[in-house]
Order: sequence, then structure tokens, then C-alpha cells
Amino acid sequence: MRKSRGLSRRQFLYRSASGALAATSATLAGTAGWLVSPTQAIAAEAAPRRGGTLVASWGGLEPQALFVAGGGGSSPFMTSTKILERLLKIDEKLAFQPVLATDVRASSDFRTYTVALRQNVLWHDGKPFTADDVVYNVQEHWKPISAGVALKALKRVSATDAHTVKLEFSTPVPEFFFKSILAGQYQVVVPKHLYAGKDIITNPLNNTPIGTGPWKYGQWVRGSHVAYTRNEQYWNAAQPYPDKLIIRWWSDPASRSAALETGELGVAFSNPVPGRDIDRLVKTGKIVVDTKGYENAAWTVTVEFNQRREHVRRREVRQAILHAIDRKFIIDTIYFGRGKPAVSPIFRSNPLFFTDDVPKYPFDPAKANALLDAAGLPRKNGSRFSINLVAAAWFEENAKLGQYLKQALQDIGITVKLDSLDRATSLKRIYSDYDYDIAVSNFTAPLELVPVVTQFYTTDGIVKGAAFRNATGYSNPAMDALVDRLTVETDNTKRQKLAHDFARLAATDVPLVPLVEMESFTLSRTNVRRATTSANVQGDALADVWLAS
Amino acid sequence: MVTRLLLRRVLQAIPLLLGVIVMNFCLIQSVPGTLLDVMTAEQQVTDPALIERLRVTYGMDKPLWQQLLHYINAVGHLDLGYSYRHNLPVFDVIMAHLPATLVLMLASLAIAVVVGVAAGVIAAVNVNTWRDTLVSMLAVVCFAAPSFWLGIMLIILFSVKLGWFPVGGMTTIGMDYGTGVAGAWHAALDVLHHLALPALTLGLFYAATYARVMRASMLEVARQDHVRTAQAKGLTRRAVIARHMVRNAMLPVVTLLGLQLGTVLGGSIVVEAVFSWPGIGGVLFDSVMSRNYPVVLGLLVLSSALVIVANIAVDLVYTRLDPRIRTHAS
Repeated sequence: MRKSRGLSRRQFLYRSASGALAATSATLAGTAGWLVSPTQAIAAEAAPRRGGTLVASWGGLEPQALFVAGGGGSSPFMTSTKILERLLKIDEKLAFQPVLATDVRASSDFRTYTVALRQNVLWHDGKPFTADDVVYNVQEHWKPISAGVALKALKRVSATDAHTVKLEFSTPVPEFFFKSILAGQYQVVVPKHLYAGKDIITNPLNNTPIGTGPWKYGQWVRGSHVAYTRNEQYWNAAQPYPDKLIIRWWSDPASRSAALETGELGVAFSNPVPGRDIDRLVKTGKIVVDTKGYENAAWTVTVEFNQRREHVRRREVRQAILHAIDRKFIIDTIYFGRGKPAVSPIFRSNPLFFTDDVPKYPFDPAKANALLDAAGLPRKNGSRFSINLVAAAWFEENAKLGQYLKQALQDIGITVKLDSLDRATSLKRIYSDYDYDIAVSNFTAPLELVPVVTQFYTTDGIVKGAAFRNATGYSNPAMDALVDRLTVETDNTKRQKLAHDFARLAATDVPLVPLVEMESFTLSRTNVRRATTSANVQGDALADVWLAS
Repeated sequence: MVTRLLLRRVLQAIPLLLGVIVMNFCLIQSVPGTLLDVMTAEQQVTDPALIERLRVTYGMDKPLWQQLLHYINAVGHLDLGYSYRHNLPVFDVIMAHLPATLVLMLASLAIAVVVGVAAGVIAAVNVNTWRDTLVSMLAVVCFAAPSFWLGIMLIILFSVKLGWFPVGGMTTIGMDYGTGVAGAWHAALDVLHHLALPALTLGLFYAATYARVMRASMLEVARQDHVRTAQAKGLTRRAVIARHMVRNAMLPVVTLLGLQLGTVLGGSIVVEAVFSWPGIGGVLFDSVMSRNYPVVLGLLVLSSALVIVANIAVDLVYTRLDPRIRTHAS
């Protein structure tokens, strides 16, 4: 039985912020080469074709479970989002698009949101999707696990009818913020009838998820791949286009590269091969590279200054250290030119909130030395002071960056003890024990700043043992007040100004400094079309992708 | 007599396994970082109450000695524990990957033994000739080449350039093999097609070792009285080599085979990564990185048991190859 399509995606362009986003991104696309999408150019050639098997992969390992409540890292994010859907998605033009929600309306005071849900949607086991499913997810999944901080002001959630949900908040909630939660990385909707009364984190069903998405779970051959079959009862009757989807793991980047060359692999997301291999692969004429589709999950590498430690707690010392870092050298040498110097925690890929009008720290070792002298830290026997540098070596580049920073800091008289550590040890040292002076780490920034980006700078972001939060111990009442206002400001223009103020203060106090806006890329065979129709491709349902003959 | 030997070896294995468990448990616990650190980081958990709930769920709220006793007791009841990271019993996690690893190990060892023994014999019977030099040189190359490099080179040549073999995996995904004997035959051929390059990569490394050992052993046996007697009896050169030299010279190779089973398991992990072979390598790597101790311990217990069983089997093979050992055992 084919289901009603309801509103088409194109009819569902949201008003407010999403329109502004689309316009801004279109402008940027014209001026910034890195937003140009080769696959989109190819996609314009023909109408979608049904059939075929798409083999997809990414630059990482097999997931521990196909769905992990709260995330579980990039691997389960990739495998779960083909089966489990969110209420909204942000497309490649950075506009909100309907998925399981067809309309989202705010009350005049922005304290209540009414979400109209798509009708005639079936779970893969044939049960109907209703408002009760969404209420269950808000109460038992999103609020306690995957979006607790974002939904902090949530007072009540209720189903007003079978396909309408009302969420009431104790404070005004900006529309873009709210929609970003609904389109958020981990706010997939799981079926209430299968999860209610059971622990969502340890439910064995997480290995064989049942959702509403375009792809149904087929088979998981551990160590090899997950096979998905087309959901013939998908609410968008035309989609998905291929008969089968395979997500397969090549843990070795060189093998992944070879698989793309031979055609065993159709599309690979999130930097599947080393940057130095891209040109060689593209020159074969069989593979195209695309850097779009990562705007809502922009990766950066950061240096974090522990405010509990003697020297780096001083702002002038941190600023001096930043002047000793040559970001161009880092990008050219460590990232093979695939990145841009970051100027603040808001990146160029975020046209809604980015500003270049922030304090900057150009590479100037003489100035760094002068600032340290002025701070009363002269060289004694060649060294001003010693620090411990922890490089979270979950990425090879982080370890290399640690080695570079050690040399750069020693050039200005700071003795460095470098520890390049594996994932678990890094997490413990940086986020549980706070045992470092300077740490090299990473984070991914979505378009909405609250709370993912802001919690690195706010006092309430300090939660011992919680990773990718404020581990530096930075606490500034002015910053807290600014973020509080950003969280409740519903006027888009005023909110943008607050975001710029946030960026400026973060770039002035520099407790945590994104050094490089890392460029993410997708590689695909030339017959794979429309692989990038989302601002976070790794979590896209791959409903739009099709295979040319 | 052989039964008594077997029984003695099995009884000796029990304290050995217990020692493996205790030592590995202590080693793992001494490494910084815990499963809780990794899981809460990956799941973006910020609520202290939820972190505590997970600590209790993972059994990490109890003192270490209690965790150890609980684990030993569970293993005694053939229960390897539960992997909360996989939402599966540890045994199921391991069994999902172990068969593929065993297939790769056995195929590699078969290649290693056949190629290594043959090369060693050729080198020994042609000692100080160009054949001997060639075998020695090839052995050095195979031994020195890192398996990940050799694997990539084989992929580039045989998969990318020639297109003879697939880049990775164990089977052709989505292939319908059919049913019955024909289906099983096609499935086996498909696995062999995928197995060729990884087995060769791993097997050639060990073949190099066996070739060197076999050559030395053959040269030593060649000087022994029974070989001279066989030659004096007028047996052909081929008969002397096959019946009187190779069999005796095999003993060190068999010893090495038993000892190296653990190393082959370690080597297969690298090869599995290069060829995306769905073995335990990936799960072991992830479990070590995420401090998923139940799975790491389970794998160590099973691999230790595997090595112990292999060494018992080697002891039994000894008794078949060398009657003197059989007599001594009795």
C-alpha cells in the first residue's frame, strides 16, 4: 500500500531563519569555491532512476550497535539514520525540510510549539506512527539522554491528537533553536510500542532497529557490512531509488581507496581516504569529490587551556601562545591544505552566525616572546616555564599537531612534555581528571550554537566526566549571561548579534581555541547521484541518492 | 598412554587459564580510562545521575577484587559476560567474528607450512647453489616485508590493476549462491576467491620462517646415521629425502607451528584490517580502544584456550612423528 506523500519537501520551506540561511548560503556558494558541489552538477543531468545496489562507507570503523541512544559516535549515527528518522532535516541549502513533521508552529511568546506529524506513516513492522511515539521519545529518549541540555526548559509534552504534539517550555525558545533540536543529530524517533518499559540504552533491538525510514534493516554481518532493503511502504512512495543499500567497512584507508577505484565501493563519506590521495583518485575520472554536506557537523581541531593550571590560566599567556602557532603551516603540512584557519568557535560554514570581526592572533613569534616577557615570565636557562601537552590521538593529525605545538612552544621558551594518548586515556585525562595544561582535541559544530558550541565556554558546561564540554574550567559571568540571552532570544537579527558577541568574547578570552576548520569531503563514483542532499551527510537517510546506469 | 598424556595436559591447562584470566584482568585494569569514559563521551551524557546509572549497569561500582571473583566464577560456568557496548553476550560477539579469523588462520598456516616446508627442502637438497640462494633471498624478503605493506601491494596488483581478486571482504555481498550442493560449492569458491590475497599475505610471512627452519633441520638430519644407512642401502635420493629426512626434519616445524598460533592470531588482526576480513581483529581493536574489558578478556581467554589446545595437539603429533617421544611419554 502506497502512502500519501503529504506536503512535498519543496513546499515545506520554512519561513523565518531557514529562508535567511538558504539565501546566505547561496551567496556564499557563489563566492567560496569550497561550497561548490561537483555531484550536484552531475545530478542536474537526468531524472532519478530506480534500481541497483549502493555500497556506502565512511572514514571510520564498524559501529558497536546499529543504533545507540544519545549517539555513540559517528558509526552508529551513520547506520541508524537510514532506518530511524527525525522530525526535520536540514538540507544541502541549509533549509529545514519536513521528514516526520509536516509543520512546526511557535506560539506568539515562543514558549509553546505545535508540531504536526506526517500521517499514514508506518513503522517497518506495520504499526502506525503516531503522536504517542513522539511524546515517548521526547520524555524517555531525547530529554533524559540525547538532548537533555537543549531541552532543559521543557515543561510538558503532550499529544493533542493522533498526529499533533504540543511542547511547552518555561522560557522562550528561538524557532531556529527548536527546529535544530528536531533535526538534531541524535533526535531520531524510535517506536514506543517496542521500547516502552525497557531500557532504551541496553535494548537488544538497537542491533536490529525498526523505524519509519526509507531503508529497512536486512542483515548485519559483523565485521563486514549491514544490508538494508528498500522500504516499500515508505511515506515518500518514489523513494528510495536503489533496491539495496549496503554500508560496509574498510578499516584501512588504502583499501578503501582501492575499493573506490575498483567500484566495489560507491560512495564514502567523512574523509574516507587521506587528503593526499584525493587528487590521484579524481584524476582516474571514475571518482568525484564533494565538500558539501558537512555544514551541520563542521569539524575542528582545538587547543584547550586548563584554567586550573598556573600559567595558562592567564589570558595574556594564552594569547602569547596563540601568536606562536602558525596555522597556515598546520593546514599545509598536517591537513594537506584541506582546511581553513578558524577565527572563533563559529565557522565559515555557518553563514547564519559567522563573523570575521573578532580578535585574531596572527603567527608572530616575536610578539609572543614580547607578551610573555611583559607577563613577567622571562627565560631562565632557556625556559620560561614547563607545561604538559595532552594530544588526543584519536586522529593521526592530532598527534602530529601535538608534535608541532611542542616545537612551536619551545621556540618561545616554553618547555613542553607531550603525551599523545589513545581515546580512552585522552578522555580520562582531559574530561574526567582535568590532568593537562594544554590539550589538543576536537569537536563538531552544528549550525545552532546552543548548546553544543556554547557549552565549551559556559560555567554550566563544566560537568566532570562529561566529554566534549567545558573541560578547561573557564568561567566568566559575562559569557554565561551572553549565552543565557542567546538561548532565549527569539528575534533572528538580535540573536545573530548575540552570536557575534559570543564569538568575540570567546576569541578574546581564548580558553578553548579552534585552530583549523577541517575540510570534510565525500568521494563517490561518477554514477552515484544526489548523495549530498543534507547538511550532515553521514546522518542522511540516503533517500534521494540514485545510481545512473 | 596417549590418553594419560592428554589428561595431564588438560589438567595443566586449568591453572594456566586461571593465571591468564587473573593476569589479563589486572593488566587491563591498570590501563588508564574506562568503558564508562568512552561510552558517556560517545553518548554525549552530561547528567551525573545517568553517568552513575551506567556505572552500576556496567558493574563498575563494585571493588575490583569483587569484579575479578565474579568474572572467574562466570567463566567457570562458561559465561564470558555481557558486552554493553554491543548489547550482546560476549560469547555471541566473539562467535560472530571468530569463524572468519579461524578460516584465515588455517588457510595462512596451510600456505605457510606447504610453501615453507617445500622451500626449505629445495634449499637444503640444493645447498650452496643458486636455488638455495634464491630461497634464502625470498625468505628474507617475505619475512622483512610488513604484512600491511605486502597486503596493499597485492591489492594494487591483483585487485586494482588486474582485477583478479576483490579488494576486501569474505564473500560477495548480495550474491545468490543457489541451494544444495551446487550452492555450497559456489559459496565455498566465493570464499576462496576472497581468501586468496589475505591468506597469501599472512601465509608468506610464516612460510619464510618455516623455510629457514626446515632448511637448517634438513641439513642437520642429512648428517645423521640413519640417512647414511638409507643411502648405503641403495635407496633413491627421492626416497631418502621423502621417507627418512623430511619426516624427521619436520619436528622443529611442528614445534614452531604450535608456538606460533598466538602470533598468527595477532598477525591476522593486521591482515584483517587491510582486507576488511570480518574476523576478530576489528572487534578486538575497538574493544581495547574503548576499554570494553569483557570482550577483551573473553577474546584473551578464548585465544589462550586455542593456543593451549594447539599445543596439546602438537604434543600428540610429536608422538606420531617420533616414536621415541611416544616411548618416553609412556
